Amino acid sequence: MEVKSELRRFIVENFLFGNTESPLGDDDSFMQKGILDSTGILEVVSFIEEKFGIAVDDQDLVPENLDSINNISAFVSRKSGAKV
Amino acid sequence: MGRDSMSLPGFLLASASRYPGHEVVVQGERRISYELLARKAAAVASFLRSEGIVAAGDRVGLCIENSPEYLLAYFGILAAGGVVVPVSNQATSRGLESVLKDCGTTALITQKSVLKAVSEAIPGLPALKTVIVAGKRDVEDDRSGKAPAAGSIAGRRQYTLAEVGAGNGVDSAMHRAKPDDLAMIIYTSGTTAAPKGVMLTHRNLVANAESIVQYLKLTDADRVMVVLPFYYSYGNSLLTTHVLVGGTLVVETSFMYPNVVLERMVKEHATGFAGVPSTFAILLNRSNIRNCRLPALRYVTQAGGAMSPAHARLLSEVLPGTDIYIMYGQTEATARLTYLDPEDLPRKYGSIGKAIPGVKITLVTEHGTPAASGETGEIVAEGDNIMAGYWNRAEETANVLEGNRLHTGDLARADEEGYLFIVGRNSEMIKSGAHRISPKEIEEVILEIPDIHETAVVGASDEILGEVIHAYVVTKDNRPIDPRAILLHCRNNLPPYKLPKKVHFVASLPKTQSGKVKKHELPRV
Repeated sequence: MEVKSELRRFIVENFLFGNTESPLGDDDSFMQKGILDSTGILEVVSFIEEKFGIAVDDQDLVPENLDSINNISAFVSRKSGAKV
Repeated sequence: MGRDSMSLPGFLLASASRYPGHEVVVQGERRISYELLARKAAAVASFLRSEGIVAAGDRVGLCIENSPEYLLAYFGILAAGGVVVPVSNQATSRGLESVLKDCGTTALITQKSVLKAVSEAIPGLPALKTVIVAGKRDVEDDRSGKAPAAGSIAGRRQYTLAEVGAGNGVDSAMHRAKPDDLAMIIYTSGTTAAPKGVMLTHRNLVANAESIVQYLKLTDADRVMVVLPFYYSYGNSLLTTHVLVGGTLVVETSFMYPNVVLERMVKEHATGFAGVPSTFAILLNRSNIRNCRLPALRYVTQAGGAMSPAHARLLSEVLPGTDIYIMYGQTEATARLTYLDPEDLPRKYGSIGKAIPGVKITLVTEHGTPAASGETGEIVAEGDNIMAGYWNRAEETANVLEGNRLHTGDLARADEEGYLFIVGRNSEMIKSGAHRISPKEIEEVILEIPDIHETAVVGASDEILGEVIHAYVVTKDNRPIDPRAILLHCRNNLPPYKLPKKVHFVASLPKTQSGKVKKHELPRV
């Protein structure tokens, strides 16, 4: 759960500016919902690299790994073997 | 090509007759032929004309993401004799209203995701009578001849594009535009808060497309990967040039995942790719481009800023055998004014090259005299691509147009061989990624927050985007407020790319004796 809640906090704080009126679902696509753009996703990547101590390779930058809270959570868990 | 090719619908008709089976647009698994697009566009045009929705010269809003439906609506409007007014599909109701109201748009073709903003904007748009809503596969939709049923949205007629495009259009029903008829009004941010509508005629668009086709050597075999939105002049130029030659537009709606775009380029054998400096910065720094084989990629183009020598060298290494074109232009010049020949790039890093075919460029000093070699002057351009003026803004038009001479507001110098180098702008506009952003518009939104006393919005330099938006804010009585409240208000009233990246609270803003904010004294960090 921790990865998901940390991620949610980061995204709500930095891209939704604390707005929780329209809640962000774990499966919501950041691209479809217009939450992130091409530089926003790079900020998220820096965040997960730093926060969870994993290295994200260039070829990892695909929607299957990054385009929702669930996708990132699963990706972080694959990369680190950590319990989420 | 005959005289029909002297207008934009003529481009489509000519290519549909020469290359009926060629793909005009590809999106995902969707492949649309010239024949199908031309037939459907004629049906849309016939309906718009026969129902009295569009008469010659009527302005029609077009607010759809890059897709086959964008092309269908675009050519349908033009073939009906209408004037296309493209608007970002990320626009808020406020953004929609300001543009559509300014030019008295009578109809709007849009998509479902924008309908909430449209309903909110409608009360402020008395001239708007009809809204047509695009779906996901309207071009292929073949419901033969079912008469469109009008619904309603906020008291205006509403149709679906699928139904509107289902009738039997014939080429002969297409409006024959004259070269000086208006074809598009593209809104640009200026130093004023309200965007200005750049009026482009068929002559403007045809001339610029022909010139670009010539120097990029585009043919019907070309397939360009499109990640730039069609609603800007750069994206629009990809559309017009490829339809002119019978080439293919491979569209993706987002550049958020560059690896997805690269995969598409490999799969679709893209021969061309167009970007702005941030596109190439992201490709070089955070994508899989080094592991991609792109043997079909003949050229890439970059406009919206010079390419740094470091990036140009890297890109040449990563894409050996691919020509790199650096280009410069303005919406007021339809799109393009200069380009740097790829062969000259290694010896002219940082240059925007020379005038494109059919355009004359002069550098004019502040004394109104031609600049000597090495001397800085304003770029002044002449050619058939120069706009007819700003919609309903005679004074602002007179400020930049002197006959057919466009004063660009960009400052440059030419070296001894005549290659141009941009040295600055005499405008406050912020250039972030592919966007040109007016600080005034953002300042006005911030000032709506009750606790704000005054604000100044500036561009701060950014490694990837060129510039990002910073807002300097003075609160009433210097009361502390949560910066998120400011950003949230901006998010609710501005499209995402206009959101400040950072809010700086300051006790006061530096000002001149006459009270004008000295923005150049604000730190850009």
